[in-house]
Amino acid sequence: MTALAAPAALRAPSPRLSRWLLRLHRPALYVFTGLVLVLAAALLWLWGPLTDAAAEGWRQWNACGDHPRCSYDQDAILRYKKVYDVTTLAMFLLPFLVAAWAGGALTGGELENGTAELTWTQGVTPARWLAAKLALPAALVAVGTGLLVLLHHLMWSAGEGRIDTSKSWYDTLTFAVNGPGLVGLALAGLVVGALAGLVVRRALAALGVALAAMAALWFATLSALPYLWPAVTTTGDLDSGFAVDGLHVDYGLVTSTGRHIPVPVCNGRCEDVYTKLDAVGIYNDYHPRSHFWPLHLMEAGLLLALAALLTLLAFRLLTRRTATARHREEAAV
Amino acid sequence: MTTFALPGLPRTVLRLHRTALIVWGTFVAAVIGWLVWLNTVTADRGEREMAYCEHHETCNILTALNYSERTGYIGTLVCYSFLAVAAWAGAALIGRELESGTAKLAWTQGVTPVRWLTAKLALPALLLTLGGTALVLAFRWGWSAHRDLMGDDWTFADVFVARGPATVAYGLCALAVGTLTALLIRRTLPALGISLAAMWLLNFVLERHRGSFWPTLTRTSATRFDLQNGLWQLTKGHGADGYYVTYHPQSHFWPMHLVETGIVLAVAALATLIAFRLLPRRTV
Repeated sequence: MTALAAPAALRAPSPRLSRWLLRLHRPALYVFTGLVLVLAAALLWLWGPLTDAAAEGWRQWNACGDHPRCSYDQDAILRYKKVYDVTTLAMFLLPFLVAAWAGGALTGGELENGTAELTWTQGVTPARWLAAKLALPAALVAVGTGLLVLLHHLMWSAGEGRIDTSKSWYDTLTFAVNGPGLVGLALAGLVVGALAGLVVRRALAALGVALAAMAALWFATLSALPYLWPAVTTTGDLDSGFAVDGLHVDYGLVTSTGRHIPVPVCNGRCEDVYTKLDAVGIYNDYHPRSHFWPLHLMEAGLLLALAALLTLLAFRLLTRRTATARHREEAAV
Repeated sequence: MTTFALPGLPRTVLRLHRTALIVWGTFVAAVIGWLVWLNTVTADRGEREMAYCEHHETCNILTALNYSERTGYIGTLVCYSFLAVAAWAGAALIGRELESGTAKLAWTQGVTPVRWLTAKLALPALLLTLGGTALVLAFRWGWSAHRDLMGDDWTFADVFVARGPATVAYGLCALAVGTLTALLIRRTLPALGISLAAMWLLNFVLERHRGSFWPTLTRTSATRFDLQNGLWQLTKGHGADGYYVTYHPQSHFWPMHLVETGIVLAVAALATLIAFRLLPRRTV
């Protein structure tokens, strides 16, 4: 069974198959290209004029001091914030859109209405059909999201330090779209959707399953993120706070023997509780700014590995199912 | 399942869309349950934290923050639930049946297209109204139960919708717009996308113009001043008579909310009317 899938799947899809695939999903191609272009334009707008105007607004505000009659360009600051938030959210939703489309239209729709089976009778093996279905969209999704990530990172860097309310590198949504992790999530979305379509074989149900699976995958990614790279630990005395400038992993108390213990619940007399626990200081585990790239590359790598694994699973599922169907037909004859 | 006798057509609609029925019922029950939990267990702990903080220099308010964050999430879920309705109405309720031809099959079985569409709209509309009303009542209670733990106010976009009948109106409008989109396009997935986009756009436009749905009040002063919390400030500037600010007091919530509800319901009625007008052309 394993020998069946691999050779056919690894061969590149023929140009004819790819052309036909493009024709079939032309609306999706237009929508995706349009979205990428609109978002790229918004990012360029943010990067140049909006960042400059907002930075000038903040410069005016900071020059005001306590002066009572002082005007500053509040509109520019608010406009930057609004466009930034909307663009960032839209980029974050792209992987979910890809998953919904892959489940609903790419595989689920064709299996529901039977055009997939029709194709398989026209000299295209199921494995080649799936390879063509995945290869071209994967390339487009990777290039499209890659371009947006690059622009977002450049834009975000341009505002850092100049706009007082610009998002920190570890802000959840900003982090998600500011590096290669988003490309990994989008490619995983494509495969998750395609697999959902193959398993469920109904367009709308596959769409729903793909979205639910992506929500689960995103929460898993979010919870795993702090542990993808060794954190930095800092300690201080009992009066120092737990606030850190970075992605928090853990915090707690340090005892006189150097042991790390969690902060006790002490809605009463905390000092007494700390003394009883022999706590002499506090510790913080967190990721400083320099961990941005290692964290992002680890996230992207793991998501790509998952995408590869699910692709393999999809091929095995498809070949096994079509092989069983063929055997049944032969037996019937 | 049903021991009492429902007429054939409504029963068919319920049975065909039972997944949606289960999802909607579960959503309503889960949100209400979550609100009850937050306002009993979580809020109690939050209040104890705050009381402790009043008498101590160092303290944590993590539970209070959790309470406020989660109540905020619920407001967002309740307000924007109409987006899911729009997707479902466009795709599953009407679009798929027109694409696959099961609608035509039904019309040959003694069900006229008008009765078919009426049943398709009336039953979901009833369930959306009941569920939406329950959500709004629960959210109004939960949102106002522990104001001292919350950092938001009545002007927040999602809170504004979730605290009144606009939530139900948006749900009904999404049902009508999804139906109309599906009748126009007759294909499942494009209907889903367009219906979703249309409802998002409607909400986006109304949200932007919400402040102008009722006349604002103006306060002027010779010196610079700030409005107190709880007032919705729209514009401020410096004119011939000194500094001025235009704003909405909290008493404007209901008039503004009802104007928006009226607009959304008008859109829903218009979409339903066009859908029924369009139907004869889809049956030939």
